[in-house]
Amino acid sequence: MTERATRSRIPLKPVYGPGDVAELRYDEALGDPGAFPFTRGRRPPEQGASAWIQRELSGEGTPSRSNAQLKYLIGTGATGIDVIGDTPTMAYLDADHPAAAHAVGTQGVSLCCLDDYRQLYADLPLDGLTVSQSLPPLFGMAGFYLAARERGIEPARLRGSIVQPPFYCEDCGYATHMPFPLRLRMTADSIEFASREMPRFHAFLEDTYYISDGGLDAVEEMALGFVEIRHVVRELRRRGVPVDAFAPRVAILVNCGMDFFEEIAKIRATRRLYARMMRDEFGARDPRSLAVNIASHTSGLSLTAQQPVNNIVRGATQALALALAGVQGIEISGFDEAFRTPSPEAHLVGLRTQQVIALETNAARVADPLGGSYYVEALTDELERRIREMVARIEGLGDPGALCDRGWFRGLFQDAMERHARDVREGTRPQVGVNVHRMAAHEDTLLRDVAEQKIEPSREQVGRIREHKRSQDSRGVRGALAGVRRAAGNPGENLMPAIIAATAAGATIGEMAWVLRAAYGVPGDPFGMMESPL
Amino acid sequence: MRPVRVLIGMLGLDQHEVGAVAVARLLRDAGMEVIYLGRFNLPPGIVKTAGDENADVIGLSCHSWEYLHYIDELLALLRQQGLSIPVVVGGSVLTAGDESLLRDKGVAATFGPTSSAEDIPAAIRSLVTSARRP
Repeated sequence: MTERATRSRIPLKPVYGPGDVAELRYDEALGDPGAFPFTRGRRPPEQGASAWIQRELSGEGTPSRSNAQLKYLIGTGATGIDVIGDTPTMAYLDADHPAAAHAVGTQGVSLCCLDDYRQLYADLPLDGLTVSQSLPPLFGMAGFYLAARERGIEPARLRGSIVQPPFYCEDCGYATHMPFPLRLRMTADSIEFASREMPRFHAFLEDTYYISDGGLDAVEEMALGFVEIRHVVRELRRRGVPVDAFAPRVAILVNCGMDFFEEIAKIRATRRLYARMMRDEFGARDPRSLAVNIASHTSGLSLTAQQPVNNIVRGATQALALALAGVQGIEISGFDEAFRTPSPEAHLVGLRTQQVIALETNAARVADPLGGSYYVEALTDELERRIREMVARIEGLGDPGALCDRGWFRGLFQDAMERHARDVREGTRPQVGVNVHRMAAHEDTLLRDVAEQKIEPSREQVGRIREHKRSQDSRGVRGALAGVRRAAGNPGENLMPAIIAATAAGATIGEMAWVLRAAYGVPGDPFGMMESPL
Repeated sequence: MRPVRVLIGMLGLDQHEVGAVAVARLLRDAGMEVIYLGRFNLPPGIVKTAGDENADVIGLSCHSWEYLHYIDELLALLRQQGLSIPVVVGGSVLTAGDESLLRDKGVAATFGPTSSAEDIPAAIRSLVTSARRP
């Protein structure tokens, strides 16, 4: 780096001192951990900052194969799980969709129908485990709800979270091929449903990880995240849902890149911004509504295919930053993420890294250990200011929902993608093994064998779903799908009960999504290959 | 001589577009015409567009393993339609094993994680020069 600046291009001085925090007023800007504005942590210090949930993003092949993977992770000490759907599931397509053929189960688990959820969660202690779901909100929640209820576990006791991506999923995450008004409704309906029926579940998980991993910097990541959160909060309030009914169960899944102190400051600034926003703008009164739950997944974009062993060091560095920032959950990207869905070896290394940090370093034994650091406090202030300004700038352009609907954000993502590629190419962003300290390919052999092992597309799951569709009670399914269509046609009705009923009747995600898309005037199948299920 | 025309697309449900966007920009900066198809393509659509647009090269960007399964179909379709358009495949997920497998199948060039910004336009130019030479 020729210029001294953070990844978000915040200029840095060689050293910070008392003058940089002279205007910092403790009660207003910091407060003790567990007290407004929660800069120093969501929980009071006696609850232990090192008690974060340790988990690894998982899911591959059939639901039963993923179930075995989850049991393995719990057996090695994971204290929570995070399940991600494969790309067809995330695109709301069934495993038997022709365009899904070669993607089933290779980058996540295939979840099409209730039986898949039964197998995924079989024998897992759903009432004693937090189940994070990187899954389509309505459908993942319906499957979880039904699979638990069948086993006699009250949905009100379920804990975990589900990502809500109405704004940015089409451009930088998993495209759902659904129009914006439908995406927003699915988000609001599922959050509203959970506020009544699953009060311990974080149905409002803002996922800024995938917003960021296209190359956005820390300021852009959180600004876009807050724009989305604020839009959803306004939508819920417009419907008459009291803010204190859902705000205690808002969580943010942030990214964590390599700029160590900036990432820590980002998390501290986010807690402060959130607390002030909820209290001053949205009128939340319940103290739990002001203290946002923050978890993190470490950055896949920071990992390199060159010298993959370096990725283990990157994961450990990022996880240490997260431990110091006081987050509620950590997942470390697999060291093989640059080539493949995490191998069992990468999952184990990720968990063991967390365990080493938690148990051996004492790094998080004291809450907010960096609080009061001239540098960290100055950076926290600066990040807060820049995030707030960027949110105001975007909201000043007009209704953010309308901006999203007409693809305005896509330009930001494209710019970020290009900027990241250029910075790596030109070396303004040093990456060991890529643009500095390179190694000849024939010498770069450490952990290479892991990269060559591929997960085959799950033909077994394709066959299972075909068989499921042949053998199901087609009249019952069609009746339930007609119920989904009716609910979709009535904007005042919550979609969740109809989706739960259709899932219980045996409808698949592809069938339900078909009906929803068609009700909103877009093709039921984005590829034009599947017939109407009705 | 008209500029080199490159079609850039991704196959199946592969979602990670960072590389495709970066390479499209890189080729444009190198003076080529880029037809950017983006995500969610299947081999018949790629082949048809490449023919209709008179593309000199088909560039597939990949970040999932779907390309390994689609490549045979794509190359067979090109042959069936008598189109001799070289296909190149790039992506940071390509391992050494993948690169040799793809070349065995008939892919003209591959760009794995160690390819540089200079390699890609140079390789494409040389492919087009040899294809245009009578």
